[in-house]
Order: sequence, then structure tokens, then C-alpha cells
Amino acid sequence: MILAWAKKKWSWLAVAALIIFLALVPFKWFLGQYTSIMIFVGISTMITVGLCMLMGYTGQVSLGQAAFYGLGAYFSAVLSKTHGLNPWLAMVIAAIATGTFAYIIGYPIFRLRGNYLAMATLGIGLIMWTLFNQMVQFTGGPDGMSGIPYLSIGGFSFDTSFKRYFLVWFFCLAILFLSQNIVRSRTGRALRAIHGNEAAAESLGINVTQFKVKIFVLSAVYASLAGSLFAHHLRHVSPQSFDFLASVKLVVMAVIGGLASIWGAIFGAGTTRFLSDEVLLGFNKFPQLDIIIYGLILMLVMILMPEGLFVAIKSGTMWLKINWRDLPAIMKRMKKDFPEQVKYFLSRLPLARLWRKTEP
Amino acid sequence: MSGPILETKNLIKAFGGLVAVDNVDIAIETGRITAIIGPNGAGKTSLFNLIAGVYRPTSGDIIFNGNSLRYAPWYAKAVPPQMKQHKLFKNRLHHHAPAHKRTALGIARTFQHVNLFGNMTVLENIMTGQHPRSKYGFFAAALRLPKARHEEEMINLNAMKYLNMVGLGKHADQKSLSLPLGQQKLLAIARALATEPKLILLDEPGAGLNALEKRELSELIRRIRDMGITVVLVEHDMPLVMGIAEWIIVLDSGMKIAEGTAAQVQKDKKVIAAYLGEETDDAED
Amino acid sequence: MSADQFVQYLMSGLTQGSIYALIGLGFTIIYSVTQIINFAQGEFVMLGGMLSYVLAVEAGLPVPLALIIAILIAAGVGALMYILAIRTARRASVISLIIITIGAAIFIRGIAGNQFGVNAVSPTPFTGRGSISFLGAYIEPQALWIIGITFLVTILLYLFLSHTMVGKALRACAVNPEAASLVGINTKAMALIAFIIAAAIGGIGGVVIAPMAMASYGMGVMLGLKGFVAAAVGGFMSPIATVIGGIMLGIIESLAVGFNWGPFTSAYKDVIALVVLLLILLIRSGKLAAAERAA
Repeated sequence: MILAWAKKKWSWLAVAALIIFLALVPFKWFLGQYTSIMIFVGISTMITVGLCMLMGYTGQVSLGQAAFYGLGAYFSAVLSKTHGLNPWLAMVIAAIATGTFAYIIGYPIFRLRGNYLAMATLGIGLIMWTLFNQMVQFTGGPDGMSGIPYLSIGGFSFDTSFKRYFLVWFFCLAILFLSQNIVRSRTGRALRAIHGNEAAAESLGINVTQFKVKIFVLSAVYASLAGSLFAHHLRHVSPQSFDFLASVKLVVMAVIGGLASIWGAIFGAGTTRFLSDEVLLGFNKFPQLDIIIYGLILMLVMILMPEGLFVAIKSGTMWLKINWRDLPAIMKRMKKDFPEQVKYFLSRLPLARLWRKTEP
Repeated sequence: MSGPILETKNLIKAFGGLVAVDNVDIAIETGRITAIIGPNGAGKTSLFNLIAGVYRPTSGDIIFNGNSLRYAPWYAKAVPPQMKQHKLFKNRLHHHAPAHKRTALGIARTFQHVNLFGNMTVLENIMTGQHPRSKYGFFAAALRLPKARHEEEMINLNAMKYLNMVGLGKHADQKSLSLPLGQQKLLAIARALATEPKLILLDEPGAGLNALEKRELSELIRRIRDMGITVVLVEHDMPLVMGIAEWIIVLDSGMKIAEGTAAQVQKDKKVIAAYLGEETDDAED
Repeated sequence: MSADQFVQYLMSGLTQGSIYALIGLGFTIIYSVTQIINFAQGEFVMLGGMLSYVLAVEAGLPVPLALIIAILIAAGVGALMYILAIRTARRASVISLIIITIGAAIFIRGIAGNQFGVNAVSPTPFTGRGSISFLGAYIEPQALWIIGITFLVTILLYLFLSHTMVGKALRACAVNPEAASLVGINTKAMALIAFIIAAAIGGIGGVVIAPMAMASYGMGVMLGLKGFVAAAVGGFMSPIATVIGGIMLGIIESLAVGFNWGPFTSAYKDVIALVVLLLILLIRSGKLAAAERAA
């Protein structure tokens, strides 16, 4: 009986178990040494959720999410340190500014019927990074800014990692729950409809372009909030944290977590973070290994499990879904096709005319 | 209400040199079942797409419920009246209401190729149809405000109602693509009905159905008409059309060549000539 | 700014723009035949440049041989990328393919950084250094090579596409892949050929620019972006517009730095490309929206 109830409510149980686990992590007798890493996982998860939703529902990739992350961080830093504004107010202003920026770029891009978001966001990421580096009077240039104040409520200041851990995960879980509510609502249905069949969605009164822009703005706002929390955690921001590699890592997190997946984002952020920190640093002698692995992950996951690693595992059929049955057929075809295609290609070269002339 | 629910005036649609819809004037009477027929390539689906807002007219106007579906953009006011006819401005001063706005106004449509949302269940497909008739947005959804929860219940109830109307009630939680084609088409119609339209455009609803399913389809169409919704269908199956259509418009090569009741159209010489070689035996029955 | 300086900036813009044009052609070819935006395009340029250095300077091969081998390897990588990564992802959605090309780009860059190190390298220019006087400006001989080879490649490509069977088959795939396969064109082979040509052109670009602008494992990102802008001008379908777009971008960049417009110091030079891109997208979306209204 309990088993049947458990099976039905297993997702609630899983989430509850996750929350309990997360609440215990920063304690020394549990996993306290990972507190710092887990803070970053929480921050990354916030950005990743937005990215997962963006990629899952608009079908386009953002290669510049770190730009919004950086904007949030720098806005918070500048407003709270240089101008002495209340950090919470600064966070809100940063989110609004970043969201507005995303709206301005988003509209022309999503109106176009092509896949321009990837390059446009790549460019924006590069521009932002350049600006962070060059506008020394605002941002402190390549060395960045220090001395950013802690967040505090009343007299209670978030001055230890322990306290900030709970702050960050509070925000992170809040965003996850909010996102889940959105997906299960009328808005979420509209988004899934767009994902399913755009023409039909449009015929049901759904303004496809507007929804795509909204999701883009939402992902930017999430990233901005994450950036603000980042600034008040490290108390120092510098452009290196927001370069192209950062955006790539975020895409890797989203791909592992699953496009259009919400809770998968934690999985994606967590595994990528642990991969980069624990595993790859160990292979210090092999330069660029991290980029090579990221590239491999992106390719392999998209070829074998396009809906994302987490989603494939979650449906319990990951091993089936890897189309193992396809693999021998693919290999056979490759073995057969490759020489044929090369032969075809060579035969079309002008030089080949010479070859053929000498044959009877 | 008086007057036709939908009219087109001098509607022209050209794709480069090819004129798909050539100066078509039609009027759809409210509450009637109208069929648009014609040989292949006559421009029937193009006409549908124009009415639904998928294509923009090259010129001409479409009037729904007495209001034109054209509107002037905000910058039109800046152009002095004398300049409005000038080549630079002529085609830029009217915007045509986009498809999603027309659905909100009350025009619904189905597609030749069904176009279901494969990533959703049967019921969710119909609930999506309730989108233009519900209001709660991002914030209410994110915070699960009582307003949102209440509207969700209404949407759920309404969706079940439409689902039961087409007889698919017990399939509510199945994946939409697991249904056989005939039922998928019914689902698509129910989904369009969920937008609570005044006018519904059915694009070849009978394609791919067997005789029994076609009879049920005719029944369904009559029930839709009895609900007060005006039905317009494009169809190739002549017995089906002649059986339910109260008014028939015949197109050929982008032009309207005849219209009238089933009996009148069957005897029309131009119609017979257009169909020569196809289905003429129906005219002799 | 004097007339001489103006011509100087113009020429350097033309040189730089030629490279953008070449990269843009690579994007355009692949997109028009397969509807895929190949993010690894910039990496083919990087491979051409790095390999020409490694083969000629480090391995000591005679320069013409090194260049040819570098280009062939770049083309080979393009072919491998298509066969291993793109073709195996059957039935993949557009976003999957884009992510796959991004993954391939990063992978190639990582391997290059691993094998060749992170430092910038400078292969020797084809006909030595020096200054040739031209209309009051001084340009390096390498610049003439760049412009000349770009011109040559563009013409050869044009002839190939319009006068050979394969070229026409490629164009057929670009216009309507289904119809092309129905008349017996092997669309998969065409896609392979498109990738090989795009990679080869990218490799050629890398080989000619490296002696002048140095090569490093990370040069692909920026160059890819600028080539993308060039291709965007042509809507990814028109090679001629792509070439024009690339050259214009190069000239605008150069003049902006030369005239010192506003904040456009050389650090901001790259920002121009993105501004141009956004402008193009804005204009196109405006034109597209207007076309939709008429369409």
C-alpha cells in the first residue's frame, strides 16, 4: 500500500529527499567541505534552468548567457559598492536592466525565421566581455572590482559561507519551483505547444514570437539574479568569470540537464561543476582537456540523447534510448558509405578524367 | 446578427508571377454550413490561409463580423493623406491582423495535416485550445495564485466538455499521437472548438477517413452548426459535401466560378466543365 | 585624415574583409545545401593557419607543399566532422545540429590547443615582407596575396557552382532538397561535398592570413563570428552578397578605427562586427515583416 502511494508520488518524494540532502550538506559532519562548490552549483543551476527552458521551448541556443550573468554581477557590484545602494535594491535594478536589455535584443531576433540567436548571443557575450574589460572606470578593467558588501537583512549579515549557502539555495529552489509552476500552467502549455508545432500554436491564439521573447527575458533575469548572488558571495568580480568558456559551460550544463527540463538543471550544473573541478584538474598535465571534454559531451549527448542526459536517465530508459540497436547499423552504413562517398567525390574531380581515360 | 459573418472583397494573393487567389469576392452567411470546392490548384487552401491569417493578401480586404481585418500601424498617422497612395507607402500602411489575433476574434481553423501537439496528451491539446479564452499570465502562474488555479479548473472542465463532444472522453490522458488518424482529426476539431470560435474553417476534414468516420464527421459538423458556429469547409469528397453543405462556393484557377445550393451547383455548366473528368457522375445522380 | 591615410585604411580593410568574405562563403555553402549553421567554420581557418606554420616552420616542409597539406587536412577535418558528427545524428532537430557543431568547434579548438600550445605563431609570408606602394598607401605583399586569392576562390566557386554537374547539384539541394533527391541527387554526398568545400575555403583563408595576422588556437571564435556577419548579409544563400558583406565589414572596421569614431579604439574594433550584425538582423526582420505583410 505504502509502496503504491510512493510510486505515484515519487516525484514529490524525490524533491523532498533532495531538499533534505541539500539542507544537510554545509554541516561539517556531512559534506561541509563541499559548501563552497555547492554554492556555485546553486548559482549555476539558476542560470541553467533559464537556459534549459529557452533551448527547450524556443529551439534556439544562447551562446552568451554569461553576458547576462556578468551584467547582473557587475550591476550589483557597481550599484552597491560604488554608489552605496542597498544590495537588495541593486539586485532588483540589475534584474530589471538585464531583462530589458534581453527584450531589446530578443524581439528582432525571434521575429526572424532563422536560427540567429546562437550567433547573436555569441556576439553579445563577446561584446559584454570586452566592455567589462575595457570600461575601467566603471568595472575596474581586467582586474575587476573588490570590496562588494555582503547581503544582509536587518542586522543579520550573510557573511559566512554557511549562511550564504542557504541564501543561494533558497533563491535557487524558489526559481525551480516558480519555473515548474510556469511550465504546468497555461503559459507552460503555450510554450510546449510552440515546441510541439508552431503553426498549430499560432492558430490557437498563441503569439509565438512574444512567448519566445518572454522566455528569453526570463532566462536573462534568472542569470542576472545568479550574477548578483555571485557578486555578494565572492565580493569580487572580474571579467574572466564571464567569458566565452563560461557561456559554453552553461550550455554543457543545460545539455546534460536536458532541454526543457527543470529539475534536471541541478543535475547538469552539479555534474559539470564536479567534472571541471575534481576530475579535470587532476589531469593538469593534459592541457585544454576541459574544452575537449566539453566538446565531446555536447556532440555525444546531442547525437545519442537529444532530449538531454538527465531526461534520458530519468525516463529510466537511457540505455535503451541510446539506440544501441542503431549502432551496428550506423557502423555498417558508415563502413559501406564512406568509401563509396569518397570514391564518388574523387571521381568528380577533374583529375579523375585522366584516370578514367587510361582505363579500357 | 445581420449580414454575413465573413466577407472578402477583391481578394488577391500572388506568389511572384503565380496568382493563387484572383479577385475573389465571397460572403459567408452566419450560422450556415458553407463548402468551398474546386479542382486541385483552385486556390481553396490559399483562401483558407488568407482568412486564417497565415498568408497576407497581396491586395483586397477581409471583413469579419463587420470589421476589416486590416488596421493601420502607429506610424500611419504620420503620413499625410496625399502621400498615402504613393508607391512607397501604399503597401506598408495596412497591417493585417496576424493569425493569433484572428483566433482571439473568433476565427478557428484545422489543418490538412492535423498538426497535433505530439508532446502533449489528448486533453492537454484541447486545454491549449482554451488559451485565447483564458487570461492568467506569467506571475499568476509562477505563484499559483487562486486566480490561476480557478482558471485552470475552468479550462480543464471546458476541455473535457469538448473532448466528450467528439466522443474521445476516455482517451483524455493518452499521448495524442497514439490515436488513429480518424480520432486525431476529431481531436483537432475539438481543439479548434475549444477556442470558442464564431467561425470555424475545416481544411479537408474528411481526408483519410473511412465511410463510417465520414458519417460521424457529418454529424459532428451539424452539431457544431447547431451550436451557433458558422462552418466553412474545404473538401474533395463530393458525397460528403453535397450531404451537409447548405451553400457551396466553387473555385477554379483562383477565381470564383459559381455558388449556390448543392442542387444548383451540380447543374451549373461551368462547374461541370471545371471538373470534367472528375466526379461528373455525381452531377448526373 | 589625409587621402593617403584613407587609402591605407581602405586597403587594410579590404584585406581583412577578404578573409571575412572567405569564411562567410564557407557558412553560406554549408547552410544553403544543408540548412545547418556550422559553428566550426572559424576553426577550419585556425587549422589552416596553425598547420601551415607547423608544417612549414617546425617540420621544415617546403612552403607550397606545407600550404597544400594544411588545406587538405582542414578539408579532411571538415569531411570527418560531417561523417562522424552530423550524419550520424539522423532525424536531429535544428537545435541539436547547432549544438553538435558548437561541440565540434570546441573539440577541434581543444585538440589544437593541446597539440600546438596556446601561443600565437607566425608563418613566413609567401613572398617575404616589405612594402609595396599602391595608390599612396603601403601594403605588404601578403595583403595582395590575400586579396588575390580571395578573388580567385570566389571566381572558381562561381564557375564550379554554375558550370559543373556537381555544382548544379549543390545548388539544386540548396533550393529544394526533397526535389533534388527525387531526381536522383545523393543529398548526403552533396552535404559532404559542401562541408569539404567550406572547410577547404576556410583552410585557404587561414593559410593566407596567418603570415600577416599570426595564428593561435583561439582565433576561430572571432573570425567565425565575423564570417557569420558576412554570410548574414547575404541571407546565407547568396555567395556574392556574402563576399560583398565581408569586404564591407572589413572596411567599416578599419575606417572606424582609423577615424577614431567615438569609443572605437582598436579594443572595441570587434564590437563593430556585432553592432553590424544586430543592425543587419534588425533591418532584415523589418524587411521580413514588411514582406510578410505583402506576402
